Amino acid sequence: MAGRPGTNQTSYSPSLKTQKGRPPIFKDGDTDWVRPDGRGFHQCRPAFIRTGAVNAASGSAYAEFGNTKVIVSVFGPRESKKAMMYSDIGRLNCNVSYTTFATPVRSQGSDHKEFSSMLHKALEGAVILETFPKTTVDVFALVLESGGSDLPVVISCASLALADAGILMYDLVASVSLSCLGKNLVIDPILEEESYQDGSLMVTFMPSRYEVTQLTVTGEWSTPKINEGMQLCLDACSKLAKIMRSCLKEATTTSQE
Amino acid sequence: MGLPDASGDLSLEMEVDAFRRLFPLRFYERHLAESIRPDGRPLGSARETSIAPGAVASADGSALAKIGSTTMLAAIKMEVMTPTIELPDEGCIAVDFHMPPICSPIVRPGRPSEAVPVVSTTLSDSISSSGMINLKELSLVSGKAAWMAYLDIYCLDADGAPFDAALLSAVAACSHLQIPAVSLNDDGKIVVVSEEDGGKLDKEHVNREKRKLTLRSIPFSLTCILHKNYILADPTAQEESIMETVVTVVLDSSSHLISLYKPGRAVLASTSAVQDCIALTRQRVRELLKILDEANSSMEVDKV
Repeated sequence: MAGRPGTNQTSYSPSLKTQKGRPPIFKDGDTDWVRPDGRGFHQCRPAFIRTGAVNAASGSAYAEFGNTKVIVSVFGPRESKKAMMYSDIGRLNCNVSYTTFATPVRSQGSDHKEFSSMLHKALEGAVILETFPKTTVDVFALVLESGGSDLPVVISCASLALADAGILMYDLVASVSLSCLGKNLVIDPILEEESYQDGSLMVTFMPSRYEVTQLTVTGEWSTPKINEGMQLCLDACSKLAKIMRSCLKEATTTSQE
Repeated sequence: MGLPDASGDLSLEMEVDAFRRLFPLRFYERHLAESIRPDGRPLGSARETSIAPGAVASADGSALAKIGSTTMLAAIKMEVMTPTIELPDEGCIAVDFHMPPICSPIVRPGRPSEAVPVVSTTLSDSISSSGMINLKELSLVSGKAAWMAYLDIYCLDADGAPFDAALLSAVAACSHLQIPAVSLNDDGKIVVVSEEDGGKLDKEHVNREKRKLTLRSIPFSLTCILHKNYILADPTAQEESIMETVVTVVLDSSSHLISLYKPGRAVLASTSAVQDCIALTRQRVRELLKILDEANSSMEVDKV
């Protein structure tokens, strides 16, 4: 509320009003609509990924999928916090936060607790924790700009950063999400599509081992639809993992030269 | 056996890397005596600097600045507020500096670094006291509405001299800022004019076209380390951790002194040392002005 005297919230975003009450552009059952960015329904955004984004970290990666921009730094293995109990295996500590300007309307840019724990769950099955007993590996992610499918991008970027830090893993973890809009399944949704979705599916996958480390489904799904969605995601994950692998190879060859 | 001498003798016998780790200060002093730093820089020169304006699409103005490995991302989001009764024709700018845990092994989530409030206040002071932004330009409707510019600076990679890079990115973001075109709607609220209905809606336009701010004297800074008789410009994180006396000088584009900050520590900065620091900063301001101009002009070429 603008400038009502005596309130703490003294400013408002001028673009907020125009966003409200816009009719959904995604009609039910209509298969003719095009996605806002002109992609096919089963086409992912072009991915730009690089390792070694942050010099101060043991390993790091930057990922840019359309307007979604993420940096992940990995620190350690280093001494666990004093208060921690003794542990034979290593610990993985994950944290995801947003910048204040990441979202269309300015936010407080606080930690994202839910994403932090989901990132942890997605990675813990892939990291060989036995290789760093008694110590902790910290995985910190910062979403610079949120453009939809944030969590899958964070997860893929984090596994790349772990690889860059030389933390042993069973396999790279690639993650892709998918939105259900009416009768259609759209892969790698942008923010606008996510806000109108009827259901979502997110898969984090280790392609070489053919293992799923995390699967999140929201909304109402029929069994054939879930199968179709799963298959789409698994294929996309395999492709993404190939890109990630070539990015890692590229980084090592350039550093050797 | 006296310790300093011991390390001096040992340097002939042990490997360079071991010597650097065991006696970092001696290692540095040996370089300084030869007027060179371990990364190959002369004492008075800064690291390679670059600016990339427009790094954040969701913000009204943004820039990424890199000095060596130190990386800062600044972005401005414009919101509308009611101006104060005392200053009805002025907008406001809120500066905030963040060091997220990704930028350095020292910062942990939930525990902000000690440097953050210091840098945040100094930034805010430098920007306001330089008079770079005419707050009257941020006014929309006198006494009713004005712009509130939220300038947030994030440290993405911390490798020494955080303030210099933060100020550079903040200044670059301000020069990239485009104030959106807005109009006053029936509820007395300011709304953004969208591209499509901008022409046909004949509402009261408060700000008809996207416009840039006119920046007056732009502040630039240089941090120097004072160690014995040596002055090291633009220190890395390692240099800062070994030699502790730091002086930060902020000058504007016409070389007026805006701020000088020297927090405590052992070596008392003498008058001549301070003057040398200011002279170095004067040189650096010229470099930075050129880099900023080049970044802005390449941005305009991109648009055409």
